[in-house]
Amino acid sequence: MYWEKEVETMDRSALAGLQLGRLNESLTRARGSAFYGKRFAGGASSEGAQPAYAGTPAQPGGYAGTPAKPAGSSIELSGLEELTDLPFTTKDDLRNAFPYGFLTVDLQEVIRLHSSSGTTGNPTVVFHTPRDIDHWGNLIARCMYTTGVRKQDVFQNMMGYGLFTGGLGFHYGAEKLGVMTIPIGPGNSKRQIWFLKHLKATVIHILPSYALRLYSFFEEMQLDPKKDLHLRIAFIGAEPHSEEIRRKIEELYGIKVYNSYGLSEMCGPGVAFECECQVGLHVWEDHFYPEIIDPVSGEVLPEGERGELVLTTLTREAMPLIRYRTRDLTRFLPGECPCGRTHRRIDRITGRSDDMLIINGVNIFPIQIEKTLMAIPEIGRNYLIEINKENFMDRLSVKVEINEEVFHGTLAELEKLQIKAVAALRAELGVTPNVKLVEPSSLPVSEGKVRRVYDYRGGEQGGL
Amino acid sequence: MGVQLSVFLENKPGKLEAITKILSQAGINIRGISMASEGEFGVLKVLVNKPGKAHEVLKREHFTVSERNVVVAIVDDRPGALHDLLLTLSSQKINIEDCYGIVLEEGGEAAIVLDIEAYPQAEKVLAQKGTRLLSDGELYSL
Repeated sequence: MYWEKEVETMDRSALAGLQLGRLNESLTRARGSAFYGKRFAGGASSEGAQPAYAGTPAQPGGYAGTPAKPAGSSIELSGLEELTDLPFTTKDDLRNAFPYGFLTVDLQEVIRLHSSSGTTGNPTVVFHTPRDIDHWGNLIARCMYTTGVRKQDVFQNMMGYGLFTGGLGFHYGAEKLGVMTIPIGPGNSKRQIWFLKHLKATVIHILPSYALRLYSFFEEMQLDPKKDLHLRIAFIGAEPHSEEIRRKIEELYGIKVYNSYGLSEMCGPGVAFECECQVGLHVWEDHFYPEIIDPVSGEVLPEGERGELVLTTLTREAMPLIRYRTRDLTRFLPGECPCGRTHRRIDRITGRSDDMLIINGVNIFPIQIEKTLMAIPEIGRNYLIEINKENFMDRLSVKVEINEEVFHGTLAELEKLQIKAVAALRAELGVTPNVKLVEPSSLPVSEGKVRRVYDYRGGEQGGL
Repeated sequence: MGVQLSVFLENKPGKLEAITKILSQAGINIRGISMASEGEFGVLKVLVNKPGKAHEVLKREHFTVSERNVVVAIVDDRPGALHDLLLTLSSQKINIEDCYGIVLEEGGEAAIVLDIEAYPQAEKVLAQKGTRLLSDGELYSL
C-alpha cells in the first residue's frame, strides 16, 4: 500500500527533524544562485559560483544530519518556524531572473529544462539535475502507487509532453514504477480511444476538461467506456476543477479519479496527491515544506484557514526555491488521514489568488460558478464566463451548454432552465449573472488547458 | 401520429441555414417547418421525410435534438375548417403546445401539425369526429 512506508508514515517529530535538516541544506544551496546570493548576502557567501552540491548522494537518509553549511552563514535556522522570517519568492522574481538567476549549479550539471506557459514577459524556466529528475520520478511513482497502480497496469499518458511538466513528469514516474507507458500525449480523440480500447489501458492521466470532452467522442463512436474499456483509474490535474467535475468523470467512465497537484516551479506534478481516501491531497513533506498564508498580508494563517499555498523545496538541487508563492488557494485539512500517511493534506485548489474576480465589489472565484452549474442536471459539461462593463457597472455573463439528454424539445423548458440557473448562481455568488444558453460544442474547446474566463473590462485578464 | 424534430438553436445569423444545409446534404426532404424564439435562443420544429436519419445527422453535427410526437390532421381549405378542428380539441380541454399549417393544394386541403402532450387522447377525439389523420407513411411522404 505504501511506496516508501518509512517516509510516508514517519511520525511528525521525525519528519520535522528531516525537514529542518533539508531546509537548512536548501538555504545553503540556494545561496549559490545569483538571486538568493544577493538576497541573503550578509553571511559568508564565499562559495559563489562553485557550489559543491551536484554530487550529493540521492539517499533519503543523507539529509537528516547537519548540512555542510559554510562557516559564518547567517541563515542557519534552528526551527522550522523561523522560516517565516524569510521573504517570499514570487513568479515575478523568477521572470526577472530569467534565465539563470536561480541556478545553483554549473550548467553542465543540468540535464533538463521545463518552462511554464506565460503569456506576458519572460517565461519561467526551471532546471533539473539528474538527481532532481530522479527525485521527481520517485515522487510520481509514490503518487501512482498510493492510488493502487501496479506494474501490471497499462498507463496511457494523455498529458502534453514537452516544456509542460505534466507529460514527462508522469512518464518518468510510471517507468520507475515499472508500468508500461503509452506516451500518447493529448489530442486526436479517436486515436486516444482506439489505444484505450485495443491496448486495454487501465490508468490514464488527463486534463479534467479533456476527460469530459473525450466522452462525447465515445458517444459519437457508439462506445461505452464502462463496457468497452478496461479503465480503472484516472489522474487529473493542471486545471482548477470542482469536486462535481471529478465525480462526473468517475460516473461517466465508471472509474476512480484522483486529484494531482503540482507546479513546474517545484518540479511539476508530484507535489501533492490524493490517496485512496480521496479526501484532500497529501503534500509530500519530505520534499516540500508547505505554508498557508493570507495572500494580502503575507501572514501565516492558523491551521485550517484558507489562503495561498507557499512552498519551499527541500531537496531540489539545480533550483531550490524558498517560500515560493504558488498563488493557489487551499487550506490544510485538519486531523489524520485514515490511510496512515502522516504528511499533511491540502484541500482541493479552489482557485488562484490572482484569478479572483471582483464584480461590482463582490469577490467571486470561477470555481464557485462551475460548482453551481454542475449541480444543475439540465446543464451540459462546458461553460464560459465573461465580464463586461455596461454603464460603468460590471456585468457577469455565463454561457452554458444545455444537456441534450434531458432536452424535451420545448421552448418553455429552456426558459425555465435559464431562470433556474440565474437563481442558483445568484444564491451562490451574491451577484445576478446573465445566463446565456448556447448550443453544445459552440464554446471554444481546446485539448490543452481550457480558458474559461474572459474579462473584457479594460484589457483582458484572468484566464486560468 | 408522427414524429417531428425539435432543435435547440441560438438566435444568430446562419443558424437555420446550417441546419438546412445538413439536411439537404443528407438528402432529407423538409415537409414543414416552424420556429419559436425567446430572443437569444429558440426552438426549431421541423417535419421531415426521414426523422430518424435527420436526428442522427443533426446530432452528429452536435445539435441538440429531441423527437416530439405530433398529430397531423387534414382539414378542408375553406373558412372555418381550422376553427372546427380546434373546437373539437378545446371542448375536451386538450392543450396544444404549438401548431402550424401547411396548405397542400390551393383550394383543396391543408395539413395541421399539432404538438400535443396528450396526443393519444387528441387522436381519439379527432377520429371520433371523423377528422382524417395522417399515418406515419402518409405524413413523411406529404
